[in-house]
Amino acid sequence: MGSNRSMHLLLLLSVFVIATCGLIYELVAGTLASYLLGDSVTQFSTIIGAYLFSMGIGAFFSRYFTKNLLSWFIQLEILVGLVGGISACLLFLLFDHVASFRIVLYLLVGLTGTLVGLEIPLLMNILKNRMEFQDMVSQVFTFDYIGALLASIIFPLVLVPQLGLMKTSFFFGILNTAVALVVLFRFRKEVKWAGYLTVKAILVTGLLVAGFIFSDKMMDFAESAAFNEQIIYSRSSPYQRVVLTRHKDDVRLYLNGNLQFSSRDEYRYHEALVHPPMMHHPDPRRVLILGGGDGLAAREVLRYPHIDSITLVDLDPAVTELFGGNTMLAGLNDSSLLDPKLRIVNTDAFQWLRSPHQPYDVVIIDFPDPSGYSVGKLYTNTFYQLLQRVLTMESVVVIQCTSPYVAPKSFWCIDQTMRHTGFQTLPYHCYVPSFGEWGYIMGSLRAPADRGDALPGGLRSFSRESFAQMRYFPPDMQAHDLPVNKLNNQALVHLFEKEWAGWQ
Amino acid sequence: MFTRKEFLQYIALLAGGAYAAGCRTPGAYDHIGGSILGASAAAGHQLRDGLSVSPQKTIRTGVLIAGGGVAGLSAARKLRLSGKTDFLLAELEPQTGGNSLSGGNSITNFPFGAHYLPLPNPENTALMDFLTEAGLLKGFDKGLPVYDELSLVYEPAERLYRKGRWQEGIIPQVGLSPQEHDEMKRFLALMQTFRDAKDSSGRHAFDIPAALSSRDPQFLSLDALTMEAWLQREGFRSEPLRWYVDYCCRDDYGAGIKTVSAWAGIHYFAARRGKAANADASAVLTWPEGNGRLVQHLRRHSHNQTLTGTIVYRVQTEGNTVLADCWNYQTREAMRIVADHCILAMPQFIGRRILGETPGPQFTYAPWLVANVHLRELPVDKNLPVCWDNVIYGQQSLGYIYAQHQTTDRRPAKSHVITLYWPLDQLEPADSRRKALQLQHRDWVELCMAQLEQGHPHIAKLVTAVDCWIWGHGMIRPIPGFMTTEIPGTPPRVHFAHSDLSGISIFEEAFYQGESAAMRCLG
Ligand SMILES: Cc1cc2nc3c(=O)[nH]c(=O)nc-3n(C[C@H](O)[C@H](O)[C@H](O)COP(=O)(O)OP(=O)(O)OC[C@H]3O[C@@H](n4cnc5c(N)ncnc54)[C@H](O)[C@@H]3O)c2cc1C
Repeated sequence: MGSNRSMHLLLLLSVFVIATCGLIYELVAGTLASYLLGDSVTQFSTIIGAYLFSMGIGAFFSRYFTKNLLSWFIQLEILVGLVGGISACLLFLLFDHVASFRIVLYLLVGLTGTLVGLEIPLLMNILKNRMEFQDMVSQVFTFDYIGALLASIIFPLVLVPQLGLMKTSFFFGILNTAVALVVLFRFRKEVKWAGYLTVKAILVTGLLVAGFIFSDKMMDFAESAAFNEQIIYSRSSPYQRVVLTRHKDDVRLYLNGNLQFSSRDEYRYHEALVHPPMMHHPDPRRVLILGGGDGLAAREVLRYPHIDSITLVDLDPAVTELFGGNTMLAGLNDSSLLDPKLRIVNTDAFQWLRSPHQPYDVVIIDFPDPSGYSVGKLYTNTFYQLLQRVLTMESVVVIQCTSPYVAPKSFWCIDQTMRHTGFQTLPYHCYVPSFGEWGYIMGSLRAPADRGDALPGGLRSFSRESFAQMRYFPPDMQAHDLPVNKLNNQALVHLFEKEWAGWQ
Repeated sequence: MFTRKEFLQYIALLAGGAYAAGCRTPGAYDHIGGSILGASAAAGHQLRDGLSVSPQKTIRTGVLIAGGGVAGLSAARKLRLSGKTDFLLAELEPQTGGNSLSGGNSITNFPFGAHYLPLPNPENTALMDFLTEAGLLKGFDKGLPVYDELSLVYEPAERLYRKGRWQEGIIPQVGLSPQEHDEMKRFLALMQTFRDAKDSSGRHAFDIPAALSSRDPQFLSLDALTMEAWLQREGFRSEPLRWYVDYCCRDDYGAGIKTVSAWAGIHYFAARRGKAANADASAVLTWPEGNGRLVQHLRRHSHNQTLTGTIVYRVQTEGNTVLADCWNYQTREAMRIVADHCILAMPQFIGRRILGETPGPQFTYAPWLVANVHLRELPVDKNLPVCWDNVIYGQQSLGYIYAQHQTTDRRPAKSHVITLYWPLDQLEPADSRRKALQLQHRDWVELCMAQLEQGHPHIAKLVTAVDCWIWGHGMIRPIPGFMTTEIPGTPPRVHFAHSDLSGISIFEEAFYQGESAAMRCLG
């Protein structure tokens, strides 16, 4: 019975493909969860648990399928292909839109698991009339485990590095629907509703193929090759390209390809940014943050219980919404952006300062580095003059000022510009592993003086002792005779470009 | 009327090299809207062809200023600041401003004509006083003026497209041969010598206002030959240098080195000695609406004393009074203004006719096209971003200004406006003017796009509209002999005030002529 043999060979091959796909979906979900939510051990083990449990549910329900088994099997393959295939894409897209991302994740995992759980029992039911029971069990499980082995090897070695998660899941979705199509074709005489199933299978395959082809476009992942880490979020807002990556437990934010923070050591950066100006003001109550839409500087400010209000002016609503709405990111900034004391204004800082405001006690300026003419304007004497409109003699300002080690001329050019407009300055620097040696300049209309108030608890790197060291600039971080940065010379942008050219 | 052949010849002339290179797909510009705007040529022609109305009412005033360009507005300001408030200003257009007019949409303002003011010379205290009053000059630091930095042109200011790439600055520098390079250096050094030169009486060889320049024959003799002849004589032959000097002359005079005098050509380079405490000497003051900003400050002095839409069509003197007949073409009402003095703040070619005279032959005017090109997005170029001034080498047009360059707002604009400047000097002015006024909007779109596409091959799909403004008599041309030919006098109590008297169409001259005329009224 040649045709019968080839038939059962085909069905066994399906087992192999199904098994591979099933494990891949599980691995995709686990990896995605640890990318997007962090804490890989917990994510992986709960995802695997949930997935296996759902498979059990599927197996349980397989008993209710007694008639038209082949048709149901084909139906199932199409469905698994669809759900499994689009799962990664769906999760990426929903990442910043759904407050309870976890629920969606586990729902998808549950659904895929249940469907995959149905597959093997159903197939065994189909085969049981065509094969010896013992042969069947041994062969089905052999192919099942070989498939699983193959999946577990190619997933980390080939699929993730070559295709990425989204393409991988589309690809295996296509394999599932391909199984459906082949079986359909081969058994078209035995299968009920063959026409309907063919149309459906072709439609879903088409959808998945389109997804595979356009996945880069859909997610704007064009630059993924530029990052060593896995991209977990990437959007072009009208203002900039916002990219979040994760590598193990390290979440990084890139704006236009420039690293803004690494979750591993951002506390060093932000503690050094916020606490010095706070300790140089006698009673800081009204705080202004310019830039800093990630809410991390605000988190540090909120450590001071007597703060009355924080006004955060950031150009890009895409950033403040991302860091306010997403639970994983709100975990990084302790939900500072949702604090009732904090008010977000999404506008251009230069324009905002041109309209009248009440004065602020502390102003924290966390703009991107002056890497282009447009942001270079935010480091000009004109901007610093404008800034003085919201200051009193007591007010203290701090500005993040790129690396005084890599770009000493740029750093001291900002200092020169501030002093030129009437600020008394206090430059300092701090080591942030992911950035290197990083610089800040504190300024005030009279010499900034430490008020001696106790620092808030919970700081991990900043202290008065470390601050004393931060203020010392060895010769390799010094530069002299620098121009004032102005709208009409953009001296800083030129310096910055030259100094960083050798480093990037 | 235009014959078809004439039409094609003119288009080809205007397009220059660009047209030959043009291999456009038909319909590529069909999506581009816009229209032809321009000074009320119709009103002007009514005047030329003679108005036959008789005034129904009479108004009495101390000084009538006829014409509300920079010169007229400056005269009004001077009168007011001198305590003379009894004056009226009549302007034929619906608004004052003249060649420094500007427009705007919901996103940005943009110029229709003049768009920048170089740093005033140190002796030009009158102009500095005005800038101080307008809040544009903030004070002095060690004797040097401190200008409002929001008004000084932002970096990167200028770029030039040459040999397939954008380079910083407008002076060709990249890719020159050693000889070309040396010649450029020699020329600039020579200009510096002229800038420093003074005559025996201590006057600068070249100055602004031009009237203060030396009258010494060693300098004035340069008025006898063209700039081209002078370059030839001095051994300046390299192509990039000749292009650059020609570019500068066309920029300031609407006419190139073959047309303007050597005196004027050198004046462009040698008359500016302005400095600032907070900017390079080469800096300029500019705003999205160009010199429309300066007009806005000037207007405050004549705000409630301005009659717009009002043509002054005849001026006579009678005893101690001047009788000026005006016609308001909106209300279609004629009236006679009886004044002690009348300032004709309009060009000679109109003013002399109003007086029943004919303008001197030295007064010839360059026609211009200014096109405001509206874009959905700015073109993105490899070496340099769009600057304030963007010039394409070897073109008929002078390139374009980006109005929104002077903004500090980082929010990307929903639309952009670039302003293309184009002196129509390919034919003699009268011929060029007549033909330019007959071209249709779609002809201008084709021509402008051909110019822009030389630097930005794919710009057409970014363009939404092109608004063309034609200045029939845009600028006085300082042709040889201009500086040495006497300007005929005027009837008593009638004073001319217009930049064309200086032979040099710039804000400073218009301002100076306005102030001088006001002082003559005040006695
Ligand atoms: C395209 C272009 C670009 C330029 N760019 C610059 C620049 O960047 N910087 C610069 O400094 N200069 C520039 N100029 C020169 C500019 O002309 C001068 O700066 C200045 O605006 C001239 O002012 P004005 O008062 O002398 O003349 P006009 O501007 O010609 O003023 C004359 C006024 O009189 C009115 N008028 C005429 N006849 C009558 C009448 N019969 N009755 C009533 N009113 C009448 C006119 O409508 C007009 O408003 C530019 C000129 C042009 C054409």
